[in-house]
Amino acid sequence: MFHVSKEFAPPLGLIVPFFISGVFFYVLSCIALLFYTPHFSHLELSVAGWVHLFMVGYVMMIIFGAMAQLVPVVLETGHFSVDWYYIIFPVLLIGVIGLIAGFWLDPILLSFGGLLVLVAMVIFAVDVFLTIAKTQLATPTVKAIKLSNIFLLLGILSGFAMALALSGFWSVDIEDFVHAHVWAVVGGYVLMSVYGITLVLLPMFGLAHGFSEAPIRRAIPTLAAAVSLVYVGALFGWRFVEGLGIFAGFVSVAFYAQQISLIYKTRVRKELDIWYRSMLFGYASFAVAVAVGALGVLFGAQQVIYAAIWALFMFFAFLINGHLYKIIPFLVWFHRFSDLVGKQRVPMLHEMYPKKQALYQFWMSAVGAALVFLGLLFHSDALFKAGGSFMLVGAIFLATSVMWMIRYR
Amino acid sequence: MAKVTKEQVYDALRTVIDPEVGFNLVDLGLIYDVDIDDENKVHIKMTLSTRGCPLHQMMQQWVKDAVERIPDVKSVTVEIVWDPPWNISMASDVVKKALGAM
Repeated sequence: MFHVSKEFAPPLGLIVPFFISGVFFYVLSCIALLFYTPHFSHLELSVAGWVHLFMVGYVMMIIFGAMAQLVPVVLETGHFSVDWYYIIFPVLLIGVIGLIAGFWLDPILLSFGGLLVLVAMVIFAVDVFLTIAKTQLATPTVKAIKLSNIFLLLGILSGFAMALALSGFWSVDIEDFVHAHVWAVVGGYVLMSVYGITLVLLPMFGLAHGFSEAPIRRAIPTLAAAVSLVYVGALFGWRFVEGLGIFAGFVSVAFYAQQISLIYKTRVRKELDIWYRSMLFGYASFAVAVAVGALGVLFGAQQVIYAAIWALFMFFAFLINGHLYKIIPFLVWFHRFSDLVGKQRVPMLHEMYPKKQALYQFWMSAVGAALVFLGLLFHSDALFKAGGSFMLVGAIFLATSVMWMIRYR
Repeated sequence: MAKVTKEQVYDALRTVIDPEVGFNLVDLGLIYDVDIDDENKVHIKMTLSTRGCPLHQMMQQWVKDAVERIPDVKSVTVEIVWDPPWNISMASDVVKKALGAM
C-alpha cells in the first residue's frame, strides 16, 4: 500500500492557517492604507505598524507557510521536523498581533509581540538549518536559503532591540537600527529567499531548462556582502561602509535581473495565466523599485525612496499572490485527489482556481499598486487614496479566491 | 500467458497525467525506455521535468499502478533517471503547441 509522502507535501491543515491569516493581514493592510496620506516619515510608529502588518503579517506569514511546502522541493529532502510549524503558526500569529498593537496602540506591547515573533522565527530558522544539514546539495538555492536565515536572525535581533528601546527597556539609536533591521530583513531575508526560491520555481512552472546559473552565483554573495556592509555600517555609524553596501545591493540586483532574463528566454511554457501575469507585473514593479530607488538615493529624495519601497513591496505581493494560485491548488489536489488517480477523473491544477476572480484580483491590485506609487511619488492624496481603494478591492478578490481554492472538492 | 507488448505499456502510461501541465507522461516525453523480459516483468526508465518535483514518489506509484493493470504483467519496476535531463524537444508536438513552445 502506497502512502502519501509527508516529506514532500506537508499536511494541508498545517499550511492553510498560514495562508488564511497571511491573506487576512493583507486585506487588513489594504484597509489600513485608506487611513494614511502620502505625507509621512518612516520613523512614525503608525507607519512602522503598517509596514509590519504588511511585511510580517502578510509577507512573512505566507513565506513561512509556503516554506513548509517549498523547503523540501528546493532542498530535495524532507523537513527536519515539519511538525514544528504547528508551534510556529500560533506563536507568530500572536506575535504579529502584539507587534501591530504595540505600534498602533501601546509601545509596551512591542517587546512582547517582538519576543514571540523572535521565538517563531528562531524555531523556523532552526528547522531550516537542520533540514539543510540533511541534504548534500550545494546549489545556489541552498546557499541562498542558508544565508537568508542567518540574516533573518540578525534582522529579528536588531528589531527586538528596537522593540525593547521603544517599550522603554533599553536605549538604542533608532534611526541606525532601522537601517540595519530593514536591510537584514527585507534584503537579507526576503530578497535572498526570493533569489533562491525563484531559481527553482520560475523554471519549474515556466518549464525553463538549460540556462546558465552564473548570474545568480554572483548575485547571492554580492547581496550577502551588501546586507552585511549596511548592517555593520548602520550599527556603527560608518556611513561610507553603509553607502558601499547600498551600492553592492544595486549590483546584486543587476545580476539577479540578468538571471531572470535568462530563465525568461529559455522558458517553453508561454501561457498567459494568472501566475505568469503576476510574475510579469511583479518583476516590472521590481525594475521600477530599483530604478526609482537609485534616483532617490542619488538625489537624497526621501519621497522618491518611499515610492521605490512601495514598488518593492508590490514586487513581493505579486510574486506571493501569483504563487498562491499554484501552491494552494497543488496542496488541495495532493490531499483530496491524489489517491483517486487511476480510479476516477481527477481535476487538473489549472481547474482548481477561480480564473475570473483571480483576473479581477490581478487587475484591481495592479491598478491600485500603480496609483499608490504615483500618489507617493507626487504627494497626491487623491491618487494615494484611489490606489488604496483599488488595492482593497483586489485584496477582497484575493481572499475570496483563496477560500474558493481551499474549499475545492 | 500472453506476451505483453511495449504498445500496451505505453497505452497504459498515457493514462497517467501530470496534473500541473495537464498532459500524459508519454506525450510529455518523460518516459525514456520500456523493457519487458520473457516473464513479462516490466522495467520503466523515466524522468521528471523538475528534480524537486513534489509528486516525485506519487508519479512513480501511478506509473506502477497503471502498468500493473495490464493483464499478464508479472511485476513493474520504475527507475527515475536525470540523465539526459528532460527538455521540451522530448515532448510531442501537441504538448509543445499547447504550451506555446511551437
